[in-house]
Amino acid sequence: MAKNARDKHINLLQGTLDLLILKAVSLGPLHGYGVLLRIQQLSGEELVIHQGSLYPALYRLEHQGVITSEWGESENNRKAKYYRLTRAGRARLEAETRRWRRMAGIVGGILNATAEEA
Amino acid sequence: MSLASRVRTWWRALARGAEVDREMQAELEHHIASYAEDLVRGGMERNEAERRARAELGSLAARKEECRVAWGARTWDELRADVRYAARMLKKSPAFTAIAVGSLALGIGANTVIFTLAKHVLLDRLDVAHPEQLRLLWWSMKANTFPIDSYSYWGYYTDAPDGAEIYTSFSFPMYQQLHRENRAFEDVFAFKPFADLPVVVDGQAGMVTTEMVSGNYYQGLGVRPQLGRPIEDADDTPGSAPVVTISDSYWTKAFGRSPTVIGKTIRLNQALVTIAGVNPRGFTGAYSTQVAPDVFLPFNLQPVVYPIVNQSPLTDPKIWWVLVMGRAKPGVTDQTTQAALQVDLDAAVRATTKLRNGAKAPRLMVRDGSRGQNALAEWLTKPIYVLTALAGLVLLLACVNLANLLLARASGRQREMSVRMALGAGRGRVLRQMLTESLLLALMGGAGGMLLGYVGRNVIPRMMAASWEGPQMKSSFDWQVLGFAAGVSIVTELLFGLIPALRATRTKASGGLKDSAQTATHRRRSWTGKTLVTVQVTLSMLLLVGAGLFLRTLGNLSRVQLGFHPDHVLLFDIQQPVAQYQPPKDIALHRALEERLAAVPGVESVGASEVALLSGSAGQWELTPADNKGSRGTRPKTPGNIVSDGFFRTMQIPLVAGREFDERDTETSARVAVVNEMLAKGFFPGENPVGKFLVIDANNKKVQMQIVGICGNSKYDSLRKDVPPTFFMPYRQMSNVQYGLTYEIRTQMNPESLIPALRAAVKQVDENLPLLDIRTQNQQIAANARVQRLFAGLTSGFGGLALVLACIGIYGIMAYQVAQRTQEIGIRLALGAIPGDVLRMVLREAARLSVVGIVAGAAAALLLSRLVKSMLYGVAPNDPWTVTAAAVVLLVVALAAGWEPARRAAGVQPMETLRHE
Repeated sequence: MAKNARDKHINLLQGTLDLLILKAVSLGPLHGYGVLLRIQQLSGEELVIHQGSLYPALYRLEHQGVITSEWGESENNRKAKYYRLTRAGRARLEAETRRWRRMAGIVGGILNATAEEA
Repeated sequence: MSLASRVRTWWRALARGAEVDREMQAELEHHIASYAEDLVRGGMERNEAERRARAELGSLAARKEECRVAWGARTWDELRADVRYAARMLKKSPAFTAIAVGSLALGIGANTVIFTLAKHVLLDRLDVAHPEQLRLLWWSMKANTFPIDSYSYWGYYTDAPDGAEIYTSFSFPMYQQLHRENRAFEDVFAFKPFADLPVVVDGQAGMVTTEMVSGNYYQGLGVRPQLGRPIEDADDTPGSAPVVTISDSYWTKAFGRSPTVIGKTIRLNQALVTIAGVNPRGFTGAYSTQVAPDVFLPFNLQPVVYPIVNQSPLTDPKIWWVLVMGRAKPGVTDQTTQAALQVDLDAAVRATTKLRNGAKAPRLMVRDGSRGQNALAEWLTKPIYVLTALAGLVLLLACVNLANLLLARASGRQREMSVRMALGAGRGRVLRQMLTESLLLALMGGAGGMLLGYVGRNVIPRMMAASWEGPQMKSSFDWQVLGFAAGVSIVTELLFGLIPALRATRTKASGGLKDSAQTATHRRRSWTGKTLVTVQVTLSMLLLVGAGLFLRTLGNLSRVQLGFHPDHVLLFDIQQPVAQYQPPKDIALHRALEERLAAVPGVESVGASEVALLSGSAGQWELTPADNKGSRGTRPKTPGNIVSDGFFRTMQIPLVAGREFDERDTETSARVAVVNEMLAKGFFPGENPVGKFLVIDANNKKVQMQIVGICGNSKYDSLRKDVPPTFFMPYRQMSNVQYGLTYEIRTQMNPESLIPALRAAVKQVDENLPLLDIRTQNQQIAANARVQRLFAGLTSGFGGLALVLACIGIYGIMAYQVAQRTQEIGIRLALGAIPGDVLRMVLREAARLSVVGIVAGAAAALLLSRLVKSMLYGVAPNDPWTVTAAAVVLLVVALAAGWEPARRAAGVQPMETLRHE
């Protein structure tokens, strides 16, 4: 994984891939490659997902019942499997988002601390 | 986290593997194609773009595998691979697999058969509402102190541990009083398994088993018929319309489950009765949990259906014959109930009869009634425990054998294990692989065992029933039995699979790959192996001693001095309808029958008796010498039989002095008796009893009879008991023979071929008289020894199986050792040892192994065989001959098993083995 050339971009924190996938499909049904593109696009091309870990993550989420899949036509008239957020997925996304924001706030606060305050 | 989606995806991954795989492939291909297109759009060359897209996704197989894992299919996939691998390994060694599965199947099958028996006899409860609330009333007294004079007792009794005797039958008036005064129980009801009665249904004659019940029986048990109505209080009053209910199985057998059976009239022992209801399927009556009586009738039908001369058991307080059951009140202890009932019983005894001078009223006991009387359990509990232990031993033996075989295989696969571990398999993973293999064996063995158990479930009930009767116990195969067999399979798997697996995986990855480093593990393996073989020999010894003891018991029983000649004697019962043959017509009938039967060509002589010899029962009488001055009421009853003139001649019981009965002894002549030598010695020591008088107490009348002859001692009711003092009376001089007679026909012809002629002869006297329970005297005797026969059969079967397994074990370990020591043997031979020495060396090793096992087994046998002492006959539990014979057999088998490996060792070519290294 570490040998991948694209990893000069920011590495994903452990566990954040699931959250990003949920966010990506919450904006509308996407096929696997579409999820990849959407995340990259939303990150302003800063973040590149390791392609190998995308599909196991999708299957894991489907196993957990937070996303669901069905076959459909893609933009270039190919058959593709589209993923959609389930109701359980939406709840999970909201909870995870809140958690992430809180975490980011806390970690940010710690990192902003200066010597005088300590 | 929805469980539904988890299950759905998991199930899809497992069950629709191919479809899911195709979808994944399509999905990944779509990804690659889309990505490649984007790259091409960005200016990359087509081929390069596709190559790059593929490379970034990596191996498709690996991605698909990860996705399957994400769906929770990993454990399953591994298991499937393990099972497939295990199946392949087992297929590669069919001999091993056959031995393993075969011995396990036999072990599990034997246990299943015996569990089926144990479950039905010991665990099954009556199929009624809340059987745990039911209580059966018993009473106890000191042996031979029956509280009333001139009583007659019909029913079950047994010895209590404290030397008392305990009984379950009460007189009907006592029951009525208990019922009337009842406060201790929710309800009190009575029942009695009654005589087999002739029945005519739509012109078809047959026999039915019956149970008499009180009017509140159905209500008390909480049983509703599946069809029609139950017997009610109104049906159980004198003079009420005669109605009966029938069992589900009789409904099937006689009426083809036709619903029109309700209201149908049948002829029961000549009386017309109406069928009111059909009992539910599982209901077996209150007496037994095993077999349902065909017909249930109210007590008050007795005078109609089964008129009895001189006595009315419904009113006579001296006839004790009905069983009484109650339903406990919630929250009331049995002690409280017992105390309250004791008061009621004392009152009931006082109100209905007169106690013998100085006699105490019977002491009442309230005992569990959830299994009815369950006399079968009383009789079979110990045999069942012993059988369970034996079957357990056999299974243990099969497990030990398998452990040994698996151990040998495991050390043969040391290298494979080392390679697996070297390649990164964890110990747990390899262990799982090994356990899968043994689990597969256990499952196959278990399936085989269940099959054997299913096929063999009737064997024991059939062996326990007399050959002319139907089985007396249930033998159905239900989920509990299945669960038991499955459980046993799993437990055995752990027993025989775990040790070899642990041992095999303890190997070091590096060590196992080097040839020379194997010695250490092998020494340990052979140590464990030897222990297992010793255990095998020990168990075999135990089983062989058991087999020997029971075979000798059976042999002794077949050589018992009977005092009569049982060969060429055919028996059958004639039970005339009492209503039609009121005395003295009954005696005239049997006289006519005797005459007709004697005239049948091929019949040598004809005898008749009230009780067949060695049928397990005996008539008991209060008998005293006429000049007896001893105290009354303390002498035990004396066995007596009522016989025809031809009885002694037919059974070939020798006459020692005086004469046998003949034409002089008529209905009107002075009463006479013949006594056996035992009675002569006991009653008249040192005197000639011929001409002396005896007094019996019959129907409340004291009757004097003169002894006219002394006959040789002959067995009466039991093979195992010593010959009791016995006396005989001619049936012509009895007031009646209302319970019928058993006929003994001596013939040199094949008894089977004689039966039609005998039937015809009886028909000439009375068209409607059936010959009941046709059997030979030898079959009757065999039925008497059936428990011993069952044990002899099972222990020899188990012993033989044990021998075979021990043989395989010894052969295996010796062959393995010889293979391991080929090099050493080669050197010995090269240094001048002669092949004979080598042969002896190996055989000595085999003998040493077995001698240790034999000694241990003999010690265990001496300890355990005392437990079966009461089931043996004519052989001590520590019989030295049996133990010696078992030891010799085992030793010979051990040497035979070691012979082939020993010969192979002696045939080693020193040059070859040395060059090989």
